[in-house]
Amino acid sequence: MDDTIKLSVINMTKLYGNGDGVKNVDLDVHTGELVTLLGPSGCGKTTILRTIGGFIDLTDGDITIDGKSIITLPPEKRPTSMVFQSYNLWPHMTVHDNLEFGLKLRKIPKETREQKIAEGLRLVKMSGFEKKYPGQMSGGQQQRIAIARSLILEPEVLLLDEPFSALDAKIRMEMREELRKIQTDLNITVIFVTHDQEEAMMLSDRIVVMSKGHIEQQGTPRQIYDNPVSRFVAGFIGEMNFLDDGDGKQIAVRPEHIAVTKGTGGILDGTVRTVMMLGHYLEMTLDTEKGLVKVYITSDQANQFEKGDHVTLNFDHTYSYNKE
Amino acid sequence: MKQTSKTNWKTTLFIIGALTPAMLVSLGLVVYPMINQIIRSFKDPKEGTFTFDNYVYLFTNKISSRAIWYTVEISVLTVLLTISISYLLAMYLRFSNSKISKSIGNMYLLPRFIPSLVAVYAMKQIISDSGFLNRVSLLFDENSALYNFKPGMLYNTKGILFMNCWFNIPFATMIIVAALAGISESVVESAQDVGAGKALIFFKIILPLSYKDVLIAATFVFMSNISSFTTPYLIGASQRKMLGVYLREQFGRGKYEIAAATSVIIFILCSISAVVYLYTNMKEQAWEEN
Ligand SMILES: Nc1ncnc2c1ncn2[C@@H]1O[C@H](COP(=O)(O)OP(=O)(O)OP(=O)(O)O)[C@@H](O)[C@H]1O
Ligand SMILES: [Mg+2]
Repeated sequence: MDDTIKLSVINMTKLYGNGDGVKNVDLDVHTGELVTLLGPSGCGKTTILRTIGGFIDLTDGDITIDGKSIITLPPEKRPTSMVFQSYNLWPHMTVHDNLEFGLKLRKIPKETREQKIAEGLRLVKMSGFEKKYPGQMSGGQQQRIAIARSLILEPEVLLLDEPFSALDAKIRMEMREELRKIQTDLNITVIFVTHDQEEAMMLSDRIVVMSKGHIEQQGTPRQIYDNPVSRFVAGFIGEMNFLDDGDGKQIAVRPEHIAVTKGTGGILDGTVRTVMMLGHYLEMTLDTEKGLVKVYITSDQANQFEKGDHVTLNFDHTYSYNKE
Repeated sequence: MKQTSKTNWKTTLFIIGALTPAMLVSLGLVVYPMINQIIRSFKDPKEGTFTFDNYVYLFTNKISSRAIWYTVEISVLTVLLTISISYLLAMYLRFSNSKISKSIGNMYLLPRFIPSLVAVYAMKQIISDSGFLNRVSLLFDENSALYNFKPGMLYNTKGILFMNCWFNIPFATMIIVAALAGISESVVESAQDVGAGKALIFFKIILPLSYKDVLIAATFVFMSNISSFTTPYLIGASQRKMLGVYLREQFGRGKYEIAAATSVIIFILCSISAVVYLYTNMKEQAWEEN
């Protein structure tokens, strides 16, 4: 990753006929950076990706790559490549031919094409599937082929729309690591769409949190986790307890910022409702006068507490938001 | 295990029982007359003995042999015209979202609902050299190129082809539209994404994904035109006849053996396209196998 800006989305608005869409999106992506668009279903992630890929026209604003506007270019002329949410392999072509199609269009010689195809399949762990047709593969396998198909074209900007959604947990984890490795090795600029905050945290140089057609917050995973700017971001990223504070305000506190002790005298009193083992730490839920509160405790502390115990809480760090 | 085989046996019997009436009817109404015709086509009209003469006559007599080739020619031309126009129309209907495209999409089948006899007569009124088009052209200035325009489409090949397009385009378009509807937008988009332009998308994506249905539409159009009667009878030339018209003529003259041989030839021409149909339908493309 370096400091030059590869892609800029400038005050971009795209509204569909029914008024849905995205509004006033501003986004800079640096060369070699992996930026994640994160948000709940329907918030406009695919819409942004499709405007960059050229599949839908903007209502307003501009998109530039290396400083040059690309919005008048048709998709086939844009230096982007997209892995679609529905993977979109060509059903009448073998895996090999699916991968070769774009390379042929770029007039790459046969020998190099074959090398790239083999390399692409190796990267997504699909070597040996050359002769299969898309209809003969599982969704996850097709998804990986679609990723390989885009990767080997070495686009200026790679657009990935929930590329791992059809994969099982183990392969998804492997693919995330593989993608991150390829992406840094080849210094590719990537926009990655997901609604999985954990995936976004793991992968991203920067996360763009979206809600209802606009950007709520941009920043590194750390910045967003440590300083969520709104009630929405606070609730969407990581675990957070929200406690009513009167005047339409809410106090927000992360479970790991709560200290629990037996007895009374803290900021808030409560009783233990459940204790749940989550590996090397435990999650405890407490009934308080401000509602249910979730806290984490270490396994050492675990035998101090049991269901029904009266406890009191102290907060290391809190946030305050307007109630939504 | 025994239970199921017993049920299967019963089911089979039931299916045979249920199908028997239909089989008998089709035997009586289709197969029997067909065999009858075939036998008749090999009979000498006077002696009643076996002979190839009827066929020899059909292929050597000037009028009848011309009718055979003319029929094939018209059918092939109709297929080519219909399919190319229908394909373009279907592509437009599938890939354009305009209002015009939508309203054409709602209307293109309407010609199918007009009885063929009515349609042919109505079209005659419009395209004859003293018909509607001609009368409109008379409204123009006398020196204008459009003045006294004579379409020259009746009683010749052009007229028949024009009418055949009228009848077959809606049907062929319907089949091709259905085929194109099966090609998702996204498949086209991902081809655009890797850099394919319009022509390439057509030849590498859309055509391979739809040619089977196009071929099926073509065989149907071919078949219905080999045996067509109404159109060539009403607007065809009197010198060059199509087989349907020729057949009726022979029948009218009491030449039943020649008529029988003619219908066998029509049948054989139709079976060619039936074979093409069955072949394309049964041949599973590699990518459809699982
Ligand atoms: N072609 C369209 N016509 C009209 N509205 C659309 C169209 N495509 C998307 N929308 C609307 O725009 C909004 C954003 O959709 P978009 O597909 O970008 O969401 P998303 O964030 O990708 O969601 P998901 O996570 O479910 O894929 C939604 O409200 C959706 O209903
Ligand atoms: Mg989406």
